[in-house]
Amino acid sequence: MRWFRFAALVLIATILQTSLIDIIAFSAADIKPNLLLILLVFFAVHCKSTDAIVTSFTIGLAADIISSTMGPQIISFGLFGTLLAELNCVITIRKRLYQSLAIFITGELAAALTYFLTFFKAEPVASNTYTELFWTPLYSAIIGPFLFVPAQWLMRMKTNRHWRSSR
Amino acid sequence: MLFTWFMLSGLIFLFAPQSLTSKFQFAFVRTFSWPLGIGRSITLAARKPAATELVSRREYDLLQNHLANVTQQRDQAYQQIKKLSGLSSRFPFEGAKWVLADIITGSTDESRNEFIIDRGAEDGLAKEQFVLGDNSIIGTISAVSARKAKVRLFTDPASKMAVTIAELNVSRLMQGTGDNSAKIRLLQVAHKVKTGDTVYACKKPGFLDAPMIVGKVAQCKRDDENPSVWDITVKPVCDIEMLNDVAIIVMDQRQ
Repeated sequence: MRWFRFAALVLIATILQTSLIDIIAFSAADIKPNLLLILLVFFAVHCKSTDAIVTSFTIGLAADIISSTMGPQIISFGLFGTLLAELNCVITIRKRLYQSLAIFITGELAAALTYFLTFFKAEPVASNTYTELFWTPLYSAIIGPFLFVPAQWLMRMKTNRHWRSSR
Repeated sequence: MLFTWFMLSGLIFLFAPQSLTSKFQFAFVRTFSWPLGIGRSITLAARKPAATELVSRREYDLLQNHLANVTQQRDQAYQQIKKLSGLSSRFPFEGAKWVLADIITGSTDESRNEFIIDRGAEDGLAKEQFVLGDNSIIGTISAVSARKAKVRLFTDPASKMAVTIAELNVSRLMQGTGDNSAKIRLLQVAHKVKTGDTVYACKKPGFLDAPMIVGKVAQCKRDDENPSVWDITVKPVCDIEMLNDVAIIVMDQRQ
């Protein structure tokens, strides 16, 4: 695992998520993809289990830093990123369709747990939960697999088949 | 084992006070203020509509808001002179300092509506001070670090602000909804309210000397659950997402 490149990639994604992502948002409903969710799934399906735990919690921390409340996303991203990495040891998520599905389901579960933890902390939660629970994961799932290609190149990662055989 | 430690760290962050954890958020903004600012400028440039009007909408809104504020201040001064003629009275905002600040980054999604600005406690900013955009109140300061501050917009679901509508002599709480609007409830239907009425923030000793414009009534209908009260939707009078800078009213606390 190239940790310096990982840090740079997460940093770039965090900055883009806070600023430039609005350009590709559907302005009427303010639906935008979650780059950090895409990265979470990317590292969960491409890394070893131990590395996936570190990447999931780190990405969760980055997501919390740019949100209003600290804590909920570290837990939700960390938990579901780790579970996905464990699942990936049993069933290889290789096809783009399955990667999309993984992003969508992980996004939905993470958003639901984040919503619950934010509510539990007595912080204000999103008034329109459909956007957070459905549209953001869906948008991320559509563009996610296409972003895997430059991320793989940047991280100098092989495809799942090669990686698994080398492991 | 690693997972347990990370989970424990997450729980510590979750239960730590907001004042402590917000320092991480301020540190991120302080460190990466330059790329964040560039990103915001590009986003604003991409969203900016083509200018086809003789006078830009922003300038028009700015002047309209200024007019509404001055009219309200004049009316208040007139009432004071009428009632207290012979007694000396201080003019609203006399001694107040207006701190101009640039917006570094902002978020106006469903769950939160806030800005982070490049002025902080060292510039005299403190929590609950009122923030203006294009001469209208857009929110209050919610957190402050030495050189940065967080502005909670009045459209944020956590924002509650005392307001009054047009000529009505009653104040009610206005709460944000998260979708670029706010709601005023618990106002009896006996009060005459109509779409387009101006909504003013009530004066608050030490923070706001005179009522100032916040928004306009965008929709006014009877509440579904309690038909004896209005369900009023208030929209901002400026395009908050397109703002580049804001002004903060720093009242002289000695007065």
